[in-house]
Amino acid sequence: MNIYLLQIANGVGIGMLYFLLAVGLSIVFGLLRFVNFSHGAFFLLGAYLCFQVVDMGIGFWWSLLIAPLAVGLFAWVVERFVLRHVYALPHHFHILFTVGLALVLQEAVISAWGPLGNNVSPPDMLQGVVMAGGFVYPKYRLFVIGLTAVMALVLWWVLEGTRLGSIVRAGSESTEMVSLLGLNINRIFSLVFALGAATAGLAGALAAPIRGADPFMGVEALGIAFVVVVVGGLGSFWGALIGGLLVGIVQSVMSTVWSEGAHLMIYVAMAAVMLLRPNGLLGRPGAA
Amino acid sequence: MKHIVHFRYTLLAAAVVLLLPLLLSSGTLATEVLVFALAALGCNLLLGYTGLMSFGQGIFFGVGSYATGVVLLQLKLGLLPSLALAALGGAAVALLVGWFSIRQRGTYFVMLTLAFAQMFYFLAYTMKDVTGGDNGLLDIPRPPLSVFGLTLLPTGTSWQYYTVVAILFVLVFWMLQRVVDSVLGKTLLAVRDNEARASALGYDVRLLKLAAFVISGAVTGLAGGLHAMMTGVAPLSNIEYHTSESILVMTVIGGTGNLFASLLGAAFYVLAGNWLSTLWPRWLMLLGLLLIAVSLYMQKGLFGLAVKLVKLLRPAKSGAQESIAKEKHS
Repeated sequence: MNIYLLQIANGVGIGMLYFLLAVGLSIVFGLLRFVNFSHGAFFLLGAYLCFQVVDMGIGFWWSLLIAPLAVGLFAWVVERFVLRHVYALPHHFHILFTVGLALVLQEAVISAWGPLGNNVSPPDMLQGVVMAGGFVYPKYRLFVIGLTAVMALVLWWVLEGTRLGSIVRAGSESTEMVSLLGLNINRIFSLVFALGAATAGLAGALAAPIRGADPFMGVEALGIAFVVVVVGGLGSFWGALIGGLLVGIVQSVMSTVWSEGAHLMIYVAMAAVMLLRPNGLLGRPGAA
Repeated sequence: MKHIVHFRYTLLAAAVVLLLPLLLSSGTLATEVLVFALAALGCNLLLGYTGLMSFGQGIFFGVGSYATGVVLLQLKLGLLPSLALAALGGAAVALLVGWFSIRQRGTYFVMLTLAFAQMFYFLAYTMKDVTGGDNGLLDIPRPPLSVFGLTLLPTGTSWQYYTVVAILFVLVFWMLQRVVDSVLGKTLLAVRDNEARASALGYDVRLLKLAAFVISGAVTGLAGGLHAMMTGVAPLSNIEYHTSESILVMTVIGGTGNLFASLLGAAFYVLAGNWLSTLWPRWLMLLGLLLIAVSLYMQKGLFGLAVKLVKLLRPAKSGAQESIAKEKHS
């Protein structure tokens, strides 16, 4: 029994990370109405920046600041100068553009850091485990849960409690209306795209000490982010949270039952949800 | 003459098939062009003619590879039955994946196909007994082309195998051209251009999309089977996301909505990749940049560029160009 409880707790840790990975994708879709296929590459970039910062001896804590900021800045520049010209095209060119960008980033990462994976060790104070009665849990994962929970609250506050958030929500209903109100929708697009990329970058940095940094983690992350938003509902903040947790727990519990099939079961769970609720658990019909 | 106009793309494809041996020194490379051109044809039927962008083409390619591998290794069947089973396997899996995916539209659909690509990758990885897991299936034989025990063509050397693949390629190209020129093909175009209107006219849009999926899966499965026989292995990488991505990229770079464009796209991708990867192992970065350029400036792909050039060189002369131009608009 205890082992399953532990795996569920573990799944919450992974699930929160998946939430952070997917929420940016979901928000960007909500406002810009396009699916960012380079989202996985932003995650990849975050993980490698974390590796680089730790490797240079600057320290893990700084990487949690540097990785999202650098990835966000990069995304902001791309949106501002190139991506903007793609919006008017049919939706499959949005996808092609971001697929191209993801390829460029992946190859750039291999050029810079080589094709082999790298390990990142968590800081000393987060190594080891926490014990509570018969319950053992890695410190680093506890930290990930804490930080992602804080990030979820911050994001929720930004979306629900700030002026930017209300503009973003209004913009996802009608961008024309927001422009008519005299707001510069283009600047908001850039900002939200950068924010979405930064959350993926942070997720990548947080994931690096758990699973290392390798050049092909971007594709894997993209697949999981898609499953999370398909399960939760595209464009929904709470959907991303529920989807992330569900996927994390399924993966974690299955790894005890059938370790080789753990990844497979994520996608089986997705197919099951699709059958029952085609728009995802919290998705609105016709959102895509 | 009218007859020839009707067949012009099939003849053009046949001409390219005959030209490849003159231009290339490696039979394997020439075969690879045709194999991926087949896969791109399948992808084009979905993207160019039905408006469905699928990131799951690698699934059918991989299933075709494994089916051929298993059939040749375990059952020791001949070349044609193995390939028929590869196509059948591709079609069956496409029916399943399509049935799930077409419940969604637009970007949701695209995300689903990618998620399914990941699902089948992990499925192949898990089913080690059938697929060989990480190692894939090794030492797949390449039987000669024979009917009822009578050997028609040998496949021992790479150029002999090329001949077999070339015949199959032209045959499939011709059949697919028939499909897109048929009522089914025109109805698919109607679905692509305005799904709501096609549905209002009484067409069963889901069934049409599913039909496109199944045909696409069969052709892509056949390509996967031919690839497995070409290399003698059915590796796990054949069912990876990367394969799906490559097939889609070939299709888009060639140009959508015209079958011949897919041959151009596959030839460009395979030959450029072969040449560039010896110069610079990170050549995929250039491909990424090209993809960005295509989506920004060259949305009709290489074929669109070629049509533009032809029109520039021979301004408004014959009916043939008009029909090409018309097709560009359709």
